[in-house]
This record gives sequence, structure tokens and C-alpha cells, in this order.
Amino acid sequence: MKGYLRYFRVYFIIILILTVVFAALKFTESGRQPAQRGNTEATEQERVFDYANKLTAEEEDSLRRLIAKREAQTGCDIVLVTRDESLEEYARGFEEQLGPLRPYQYVMVYADNFYDQHGFGYDKPHGDGVLLLDNWYRESDGKVYSWLSTCGRAKERFSSEMIDELLDKALEDVESNPYKAYKKYVNLFYYDMTGKMHIPVFAVILAAAAAAAVYVGINLGRNKGQKTTGVTAYVSGGRPQIRSQSDLFLRKTVTRRHIERNTGGSGGSGGGGGSHVSSGGVSHGGGGHSR
Amino acid sequence: MIYKCTNCGGNVVYDPDRKEMHCPYCDGTDTQDKLPGGGMENCANCGAPIEAGDYRSAVKCEYCGHYTIFDERVEGVYEPRLILPFKIGKGTAVKRLEEEFSRRIFAPESFLAQATVEKMEGNYIPFWLYDMKADCRYAGTGTRVRVWVSGDTEYTETSYFQVGRDMDVDFEKLPVDASLAMEDDVMDLLEPYGYEALENFRPEYMSGFLGEVYNQNAETLEPRARKRAEKDALVMLHNTLNGYTTLIPQQETVSFHEVRSSYALLPVWWYRYSFEGKNYDCFVNGQTGKVVGKAPLSVKRIFAYGGTFFACMSLILLLLKGILEVL
Repeated sequence: MKGYLRYFRVYFIIILILTVVFAALKFTESGRQPAQRGNTEATEQERVFDYANKLTAEEEDSLRRLIAKREAQTGCDIVLVTRDESLEEYARGFEEQLGPLRPYQYVMVYADNFYDQHGFGYDKPHGDGVLLLDNWYRESDGKVYSWLSTCGRAKERFSSEMIDELLDKALEDVESNPYKAYKKYVNLFYYDMTGKMHIPVFAVILAAAAAAAVYVGINLGRNKGQKTTGVTAYVSGGRPQIRSQSDLFLRKTVTRRHIERNTGGSGGSGGGGGSHVSSGGVSHGGGGHSR
Repeated sequence: MIYKCTNCGGNVVYDPDRKEMHCPYCDGTDTQDKLPGGGMENCANCGAPIEAGDYRSAVKCEYCGHYTIFDERVEGVYEPRLILPFKIGKGTAVKRLEEEFSRRIFAPESFLAQATVEKMEGNYIPFWLYDMKADCRYAGTGTRVRVWVSGDTEYTETSYFQVGRDMDVDFEKLPVDASLAMEDDVMDLLEPYGYEALENFRPEYMSGFLGEVYNQNAETLEPRARKRAEKDALVMLHNTLNGYTTLIPQQETVSFHEVRSSYALLPVWWYRYSFEGKNYDCFVNGQTGKVVGKAPLSVKRIFAYGGTFFACMSLILLLLKGILEVL
């Protein structure tokens, strides 16, 4: 037992130090004042608009609490809207202004307008924020469309690839568990917006298990002894006597090969985009998802 | 035979630390008197029965602790030509074991406990030392390849050589253990011994230690010596063949002549530890202190240490994750 404690002493000390650091960081963080919300004009306090009725009252409350926390951390308004009706008619009304619209754009129009009309934005109306519209209605082309609308800093931060990835991840299991999916949306937005590392707990445990396996393996492998005699250990004089050694040159062959030079262009395509101006004249970013 | 103290009548033994005969009973040095033993059945000191077995040449009486050497097994055909006296005593051997095994955390706690490690005995292991001359020949074709690029063309030049080697290797005192009880590969790992300390056999050196006569004769073990010498000789031969990209051998032979052998006793401290019904043997080279052996594994300790390590790693990583996420 004494040997055991002495052996793990260093680990225990590291844990202690990390715990203290972690606790201190948590403490200072809780004392830190979140950036003041600058948007005083918006009258809308609600963030969860569950028109499609996919969430229970408790789930909505819990989501609201999470959103409030993440808004303070990101300095962005985070809005969720669910619907369960065709937006085709609604969007058609804006075709004159926005040009011909495809089914996946109906949600875009509605999401942007929703954001604009409620005056969302953390710093000012039509300012920093994000809105997820999840329309459960199957449009005329047989698909269910969602749209993530970004504005202000969120628009600058999110490329279309980031939006696509976020929507894919968040809406993975939305059909079976909408609450979990919407929570994921809020959290993923937080991680992407702040650039904080998101390491899943199971990955950490897995890494620890792998390290433990290596540790046990190494300690099991330490066995027997190592060979410490060379091949000349029992040779008189320490080395063989070479009586004759010959390296006679016989012939030579030369082969030639033509080298193909590659003059191809470079790959890669530019990102960014999805930027457009809504009917209300506000510049939005965004991206869609269908299922 | 038995070496008794002329002062007190105790058993005089060879002490590696003092490098002389020493009586542990009265602390006298060089007070030994060689007395005849009581045959191979009874202890020369107390008359208690002793176990000579098929090969034992020196034994310790379980009752009085005196060491008896069997004259019949150190004389005539059984007389060793050479002996390498113990250079490190029991205390040093124990220390070497502790050094070696202190990092083996999965060994049971009692593995090197005082009580068991004190029972460790020094053994003279029978060896055949072979002298032999090896004639090594090599003939083959070697190629050297040079590649260079000029403009858009890559040139590969291959030169062919007729390669020949003729080499003599003079092997001296290549050791092969002649004890059936000892595993060959374990004994090989105990090497090397410093042969400069080899001496002509004197039975005094055996007093205080256990011993065996050779279990197999020199002819029986010669193939093993040849095999080992051949393996080493081929490595040396191949070492002379560098600088070639490829080698296709046509002839590669090692032949031996002038094979001679001498019977020698080499010193080994032998520690046997029983754990869960199984014996674990650890050996310490009685001259150099090199340790060879397997420590037993305690499942309890594997789980305790492995589990604690896992818990510590999980905690450390989780805390790091937490800190990174706050920052």
C-alpha cells in the first residue's frame, strides 16, 4: 500500500493541481459579467417558437434556459422556430422582390423575415444572431426543409460549409428526438461561434482506456533479460581474420526512363457565401437542410 | 569432502566479498581443514540424510546447514578443468535483484521479501567451453545501383560484381550449459562471463555453494555449440559484404575444425519464488551481477495498478477538457 501510494504520487499531485486550476477558472468565470445586451428596441423576449408543437412545456423551458446561457456566452441571439405548414404560398408573395424561388428557399424567406420582423440581434435590431427554422411540413416536392439564418457577427463567422455541418449534426435524429436535436443546435452554435474545443466525454474516457491498455501492456512486457553478447564475444582477438576478399567488376547496364511532369492546376474551391438580402433589406447568411 | 574450521569446527566457506575462505561461525579466515565426507547419503557433519540426486556435486544439509562436496563428483572424469569463482556475494546479488525488479509493478508484494530471498543459493553450473576454428567462404554476385536524373530522363545504372570472401574465425571458450535443469536460452542470456577470472579447478571454491556435474557430455552438446558458432560466423561474414544493393549467393559455407572442449563450472545465484503453485526462477550472474528471470504477475496488482492508472488518466483528461472549455 505504501509502495502503491508512492508510485501514483505524481498522478495524484497532477490531479490536485488541475482540480485547483479548474475550480479557480470556474470561479472567475462565474464572476465575469456577460457582455451587456445592446438591443433595447426589440420587445420580443421569447426565443422558442414551437408552432409545430414538437416540444413539451418542460422541454421548452429547459431550452430557454440553455439559450439564455449561450446567448450571454456568444453575444448572439439564438432563436428556434418550428412550423408544420407549407410555406409555398407565403414565399410566393415575395417572388416579385426576390426573384423566382425554389422549394428549399421558402424556409429561407420565412426565417429571414421572422428574424427581421421580431427585431432580433444581440447588439441591435437586425444585429448579431442566428435563427433555426425547422418546418416539418412536406413541401410539394416531397421534402422537409429547414433553414439556419445567420446575421451580423454570426453571418461573418459561419461559412456555408459550417452551416451545412452544423445542420447535419444537429438534425440527425430530429424525427425521433426533436428536443435533443434543438439542444444540439444551440450547443453546436455555441462551440462554432466561440471556437471552443468540443471534446466528447466518451472520447476522453476512450483515450484514457487506450493509455491504460498501453501502460499495462508495457509493464507486462517487461520480462526476462536482454542479450548482451555480440557475435564476436567468443572470437579470439575480437574479430575474424579475413584471408581473402575480392570484388570483381563484371559489367554495367544503364536504363533510361522518361519522367512525366505534372502540369495540372490546383484544386480547392472558395468557401463563404449564402449571403443575400432579405425582403426587409437586411443582409443574412444561411444554409438549408432537407430530409 | 567438507571444509571444517580448525578453531571451532564450523563449516568454512568461500566468501566472494573477502575473496578467501572464511568461517562464519568464529570469523576466522583460512582456517579450513579438508576432511573426508560421509559418502553420498549422509551429511559429513551431523549424519542427517542428504539428497545427492543424479547430478549433484555439492549440497547443503537441510538440518545443520553445512556444505558437503562429493569427492566422486569432482574427481576423475568429473573433475572440472576450470572454475570461475563467485565474485559477488549474496548481499550484492539480492541488491541486484531488487534493482532489477523494483520497476516491475505487477509482481506480488512478497516477491523479494527478506525471508524468501535469504534462502537464495549460489550454484556452480556445469558448462562445456568449446574452442573451434571456423572456415567461412562466400561466393556470389552483387549489384550496385546508382540513379540520377538529367533533364526529363531518369537513369538507372546497375553494376555487377563477382564477390568472394574467405574468412577464419577463431572461437574461444564458447559456453554451452551442461545442466538439464537449466533452460538453455535463460543460461545464454546470463552471458557474458569475464573469462580472465577463470582459474584451474580447486574444490575450496565450491565450499558454501551448491554444484552439479555435467548432465551431458561434450560430444552430445557439440552440435549446439556448432550451431551457435555458425550463426555468429555467418553474421560476421555478412558484415563484410556491405555496399551492395542486392546479393545473390552461389556458395556460403561455414566448416569447423580443431574442435576442443573443456569442462568448467560457472557461478550463478539462483532465486526461486513460489507463487500460486508455480515456481518462478530468477538468476544472477555470480560474476557480473546480470539478472535474468521472469517475475510472477499478480492479477490483483494488475487490476489495482491498471485501474488506478485508468482512473487517474480519466480524471486528468476530463479536468484538462474542462479547463480548455472554460478558457
